[in-house]
Amino acid sequence: MSTKILLVDDEEGIRKVLGISLADMGYDVITAESGEEALSLFEKITPPIVLTDIKMPGMDGVTLLRTIKELNPDTEVIMITGHGDMDLAIKSLKYEATDFVTKPINDDVLEIALKRAHERINMRLQIKNYTENLETMVKEQSERLIEIERLAAVGQAIEGLSSAIWNFAGGYEGGIQYFNEMPCLVAIHNSDLKIVATNQLYRERLGDRIGGDSCEIFGKKTSGQSECSVEKTFRTGKGQRSQEKIKYLSGEEVPVIVHTAPIRGKDNEVELVLEISADATEVKRLREELETTRQRHKQLFDEAPCYITVQDKNFNVTEANRRFKEDFGHGTIMKCFEIYKQRQTTCPNCPVEKTFKDGNSHQAEMVVTSKTGEQINVLIWTAPIKNAAGEITQVMEMSTNITQIRKLEDHLSSLGLLIGSISHGIKGLLTGLDGGMYLVESGFFKENREQVKEGWDIIKLMAGRIRGMVLDILYYAKHRDLKWEKVDVLSFAEDVALTIEPKIRTHNIEFIRDFDHSTGGFEVDPGIVRSAIINILENAIDACMEDKSGKYHKITFGVKQVENHIVFDVFDTGIGMDKKTEEKLFTLFFSSKGTRGTGLGLFISNRIIQQHGGSILVETALGKGSHFSIILPKLLPESAKAPHIDDENASSDNL
Amino acid sequence: MAKKILVIDDDPIIVKYLVSLLNDNGYETCSASDGVEGHEVLKKEKPDLITLDLQMAEEWGTNFYRKISKNKEFKDIPVIVISGMAGRHLSIKNAVAYLPKPFDPDKLLGILKSTIG
Repeated sequence: MSTKILLVDDEEGIRKVLGISLADMGYDVITAESGEEALSLFEKITPPIVLTDIKMPGMDGVTLLRTIKELNPDTEVIMITGHGDMDLAIKSLKYEATDFVTKPINDDVLEIALKRAHERINMRLQIKNYTENLETMVKEQSERLIEIERLAAVGQAIEGLSSAIWNFAGGYEGGIQYFNEMPCLVAIHNSDLKIVATNQLYRERLGDRIGGDSCEIFGKKTSGQSECSVEKTFRTGKGQRSQEKIKYLSGEEVPVIVHTAPIRGKDNEVELVLEISADATEVKRLREELETTRQRHKQLFDEAPCYITVQDKNFNVTEANRRFKEDFGHGTIMKCFEIYKQRQTTCPNCPVEKTFKDGNSHQAEMVVTSKTGEQINVLIWTAPIKNAAGEITQVMEMSTNITQIRKLEDHLSSLGLLIGSISHGIKGLLTGLDGGMYLVESGFFKENREQVKEGWDIIKLMAGRIRGMVLDILYYAKHRDLKWEKVDVLSFAEDVALTIEPKIRTHNIEFIRDFDHSTGGFEVDPGIVRSAIINILENAIDACMEDKSGKYHKITFGVKQVENHIVFDVFDTGIGMDKKTEEKLFTLFFSSKGTRGTGLGLFISNRIIQQHGGSILVETALGKGSHFSIILPKLLPESAKAPHIDDENASSDNL
Repeated sequence: MAKKILVIDDDPIIVKYLVSLLNDNGYETCSASDGVEGHEVLKKEKPDLITLDLQMAEEWGTNFYRKISKNKEFKDIPVIVISGMAGRHLSIKNAVAYLPKPFDPDKLLGILKSTIG
């Protein structure tokens, strides 16, 4: 069919000539002699292309163009312009004219303009097609979505069916647990009480029975009033459960639990019956297996090398393993924080609380107190326990005793601290040693005996300090068990006094013994306690030496018995200590002696005395001197006598 | 005229060592056992160079250095840090040298020679 074209011109000649040309080009030409006529024709025939003169009496070409574009913007309008109508031509282009041709009209130019019009029409058509395709695509996609929805609905139906099966399985004494592992014989029966489908296991055990009688395998005849559950299901429309005996192909007769379920057709009539038979011997075996597994879990629960508790939302310990009961058990239900921490409220950062909140495992580290009062470092790990609906009803808490690890860590970190701290001291000592050697060398060179002696004294002093420091470190690094023995207190005190006396006298300090002669014997590791007391006596000498006023000084060393304890007293008239120094006295690496102390002496002395179950007391005042009391039990506590195997390994292996 | 060096260290043995070493090599010396005393000696003796320990019982070397570097009169006096403390020299930005204890005396003398002659 040829394309319609509306030709509008007030000059009849042009309508005629152009009409012929256009007809030659294959168009179906309709003509109009005015804008008004053109418009009425346009409304009737809606030509895709309009060719119009610009200058016409009445409605001119541009107005016609604008009106047509309003009526149908897809129309291609080509303008015919006379000589000197260029302004109008351009104006018409603004109103979306396709093109313009000038009079006198050249056929080639007209053809180009028309070609352009056609291109635009085609392009519009294509765009329209695309758009429509897009709509089709959207339609297809939505259909697919609907299909997916439908499948999901089917899925839900299947899920419903499985939950029904789940319920069937539950019928056998909480048999839910076995169902997944339960080898079931599945068959589908039609209303004629014939088997229409079976599963593989069914075929393996009972042979190909498709088409066979539904109730035959149960040894029952199909009759109107039979006890066969398949038949009963058809009759009542309700699922059945029964225990039957069936005979396998192998000849073996086994007990089975039979479940049936109706499958209804569109008219809600029971069309088919699903029959699921479970071999009860398997169930029995599985139950036994489960029992064994349970026992094994129970054993694991009890014997695990950690404290395991199960707690409810109120932190009540509802279950606990043997270890927990041994170390923390109170025989009654108590809250976790009451048992572990002797608190009345939950602990900050409680991992159990967190697990109840977010369902994740949490870790924490805490120090807890056992029922015997022992402090235990524990690493806690929690896990949620959920019910079948997925709600967290309880939380399991496993706490591993890491006390030994913490002790070891403390030891190692203070060892690290020790090395850091002494390295500075050692550098000073080495520089001093260099200094002494330099003075000796330069003194020899200058033949200055005074300087040689001075240098040599420094070397001796430095060597002594280095020796002391090394011994301190060696003692600190190695934890040793007490080599205790029964020792006469008086001889022990005399021995200590004899050791320290010459040193005190060289410094022109008076030394006074104040011994109680009725002290008897005591249990002690004499070697290390001797060095601890000497360390305190040496401190007393230092305290006197620090006083540069030239005042007369004395040190009193006494021993006495107070109830079941032996008390050694060391009094000095030295510089004494302020409160700050006194408080830090027994801390590791604290020294009041500047570069001359390692900060180890009193720390170690204190540790030695504590290891004996004793203590050191201090009374001091700045400028007035100090009084140290070393209090030791006459009889060593049993805990002090027992070897510390773990500590021994820890320290010696790590040096 | 011999150059004068102020030795600041709280260990009298090290002071003695440095003083002897420097005297033997033709330098004049004066000494102080901490920052506060160091400041007094500095004002009185007007040394050409200071050797400074960092960790001292009373005022630390770092504090002493901070004070003198703010003082117009003293801020140009070269300082050699002689200390057992690792890394602390970073707080002494314009030290001529940093000698860790135990130090090499020849190295110290070499630095002194190139700094003050």
